[in-house]
Amino acid sequence: MARRILEALGVAVVMMALAVFLQDEASGQTPVPSGSGGANAAKAGPAPTTPWGQPDLQGIWLDEFDTPFERPAQNADKEFFTDEERTARDDRAIADAGRNERAGLGSAQDVAGAYNAVFTSAKPTGRRTSLVVDPPNGRIPGLTPETQERNRIDQEFRLALLQNTSTCKNAAPGCRGGKYGPPSPRLDETAPFYNTQRMNRHNGPEDQSMGDRCMLGTTPDFNGFRRIVQGPRLVAMGVDTGQGQGYQRVVYLSGSHPPKTVQLRHGDSRGRFEGQTLVVETTNFSQTFPYRGSSENLILVERFTRLNAKTLEYSATLTDPTVWTAPWTVTQELTAQNDEQNRIYYEPRCHEGNYGLPSLLVGARLDDKAFRAGTGPNPASHDTATCVNELPAAREN
Amino acid sequence: MNIKRAIGVALAVAGLAGSAVPLVAHHAFNAEFDANKPVSFSGAVTKVEWINPHVWIHMDVQIPGGKTENWGFEAGTPSVLFRRGFAKTSLMPGTKIRVDGYQAKDGTHRANGRDLTFADGKKLFMGSSGTGAPYELSRPGVDTDRK
Amino acid sequence: MAGLFRGSTVVTAIVAVALGAGAATWATRTTDQATRPAGPRTTAGKPDFGGVWQTVNEAQWDLQAHAARPAVVTQRGVYDYDYARVPAAPVLALGAAGGVPGSLGVVQGDGQIPYTPEALAVKQQNGENWIDRDPELKCYLPGIPRAMYMPYPFTIVQGTDKIHMTFAFSNAARVVHMNAVEGPPDDTYMGHSVGRWEGDTLVVDVRNFNGKNWFDRAGNHHSDALHLVERFTPLGPDAIRYDVTIEDPKVFTRPWTISMPLYRRLEPNATVLDYNCIDFAEEFMYGNLRKTPLVTHWEGETMIVDITRKIPPGDKLHEWYRR
Repeated sequence: MARRILEALGVAVVMMALAVFLQDEASGQTPVPSGSGGANAAKAGPAPTTPWGQPDLQGIWLDEFDTPFERPAQNADKEFFTDEERTARDDRAIADAGRNERAGLGSAQDVAGAYNAVFTSAKPTGRRTSLVVDPPNGRIPGLTPETQERNRIDQEFRLALLQNTSTCKNAAPGCRGGKYGPPSPRLDETAPFYNTQRMNRHNGPEDQSMGDRCMLGTTPDFNGFRRIVQGPRLVAMGVDTGQGQGYQRVVYLSGSHPPKTVQLRHGDSRGRFEGQTLVVETTNFSQTFPYRGSSENLILVERFTRLNAKTLEYSATLTDPTVWTAPWTVTQELTAQNDEQNRIYYEPRCHEGNYGLPSLLVGARLDDKAFRAGTGPNPASHDTATCVNELPAAREN
Repeated sequence: MNIKRAIGVALAVAGLAGSAVPLVAHHAFNAEFDANKPVSFSGAVTKVEWINPHVWIHMDVQIPGGKTENWGFEAGTPSVLFRRGFAKTSLMPGTKIRVDGYQAKDGTHRANGRDLTFADGKKLFMGSSGTGAPYELSRPGVDTDRK
Repeated sequence: MAGLFRGSTVVTAIVAVALGAGAATWATRTTDQATRPAGPRTTAGKPDFGGVWQTVNEAQWDLQAHAARPAVVTQRGVYDYDYARVPAAPVLALGAAGGVPGSLGVVQGDGQIPYTPEALAVKQQNGENWIDRDPELKCYLPGIPRAMYMPYPFTIVQGTDKIHMTFAFSNAARVVHMNAVEGPPDDTYMGHSVGRWEGDTLVVDVRNFNGKNWFDRAGNHHSDALHLVERFTPLGPDAIRYDVTIEDPKVFTRPWTISMPLYRRLEPNATVLDYNCIDFAEEFMYGNLRKTPLVTHWEGETMIVDITRKIPPGDKLHEWYRR
């Protein structure tokens, strides 16, 4: 139906194609130059519309501010930072040399420090004290008893793998809830649930975190750059989460979700416009790619509203009664980036350059071999999972 | 650095990092590289792979005895650098740099680039005019050599 | 090529003669300006290619004309003849499901790919070493044009100044920039695509490749000097004619062209389901690095397969992943 209307329109406007093109240029469809240090909404132009009459969500969008995900309990009623608090947080970030501060030469922590801080990025503090806006206290609702029990079983297994390390011997935070002892009898057990986090074992790729396997990046994502390209019947969203672990989503403005047996990494998204807002419902998430533990039962409802030429309001409501005791909502304002620059690297290609994964597996096999030959320590006594490890307790600055 | 401050630093920078995969990803470096095999080299860049998840910098290094070996050093992710305007031409073959790091456990000529600097001591990739991406905080000594 | 649909009978006839014999030729037809192929259009009057699409041909196996083959990797059979080879060990167990279907080929003109002698030798070695060298087996990004004719669907989302394609294979994507944009900071797998309209044809210039991809499963390859000019022309509401002119001065002695239709997926609720193959490929890529091998032995009624894995020494292991 829509197609026939478009065909009719097409025939009618074919002689005026040039005039329409010029009109489009003038109506602000050219790339929006990025603001410096935060957009001033009062100065931004009005929210544009696509030539076919939908609110125009296109562009490259980024939350330019750093906002804590949740509010600490003592800030429950405090929705916004004061200006002084924002400045103080920014000052701390500016003064922080991060990775450039090295631990002692030859320490595991220095190896873990990895590379210079220039590869990291620091954003200024935002207005809000949390991205979570509902529940009103800015905290994700409690977990269901089943999920709490599942987490407990999972954590118990991870701590068992750390049992023989100095992380546990020194009662470092990485061993919280665990104890020190000889190598656990659980060392070669299959993980109790599909593993997505780092653990202190490298028997194969499944023991690695999703990041190590270059399979990081789940929906929803609140951190990365998002490029939205919009047609009358489909909306594409390319997400750059950093480290090349980005992904693409396609929102269908028609049709219906597949059967539940079809589980997809970023779910299946169906959208419709309600007034000025694109409302997208996504289901059919895959158990291999949980978001904070939620997957096959997750219902994600997202709302995209173009507030003005430079700002897109994005809000996501997550409902999964098997994981959280109530639905919860995140809201953020995204600022248009200059898409003439093409500097945001839109080719997610972590897997293609993942030389680290085979390398660390080879390293683990060499450790095993040395232990068998009696020339090396038991790999179970080394912590290659948590950051803070093997520090002599007396060391202080 | 005591333990509490180390966590504070790690968490603070994790919260501020532009990517969804902040520092946590790199602890696997302990599985790949050997703390007991520190290396420290000066040499000339031969090739740079601007790949994800880590940039690899290949260098010809002179080792004692007059031989030249080609080593590969694993650095950070290029995404943040690209946003600031760095490109593949930003570190050309022939540039003299200095690397401190730790050798891979498998004994190949690969190491993590724990500290990368130019021959004159200036940190590699630090923006000399202090420009980051427009919205970023500019950290002296990290992003800029301005104090 | 856009002229094919608007020009006179004379021009059409000349073009038809020029196409010559050997490769599949397109049926020519005369159409005048008033009767363009029906299909959705944007408000600016251009074809709207939005939707779910897929190529249906055998190009992904081998761009060139070929008869059906017993497998991608074969070995000498009883006879020395090319047409009497048998599947090689790694693919033998797939039987007839592992064969390669025949094709008239998609290479235009004389159907030949104009390799330099050195590059032709590399192509032949690629074919013999398919399992170690084809990046598809590792689920690496397939590059362009290969992604366009792999046997998986893809979406085209045509926005106002960008066209975004998402491929089922490994969630790969490409963005065609219809407006001003600077080049990428580094070379890419999927190329940097800049597009414009020539009448009803979308013409896309693609550069900035890293040279790591193949064109097909037969080992056809290129370098980082690859440059493509693609042309997308509507053949009606549900098909697009896709032509690609390929040049790479490091590998080919002259430009050459491939051509094929892309078909719209017409079933109701056509949806691209991702083929996220990174974890599918993990056993293939890292199974030899496990503490305890996982895949070792299989028994059927006529065949027992025992897998021996090895770890190439030192840097050779890392080179395998770099291909």
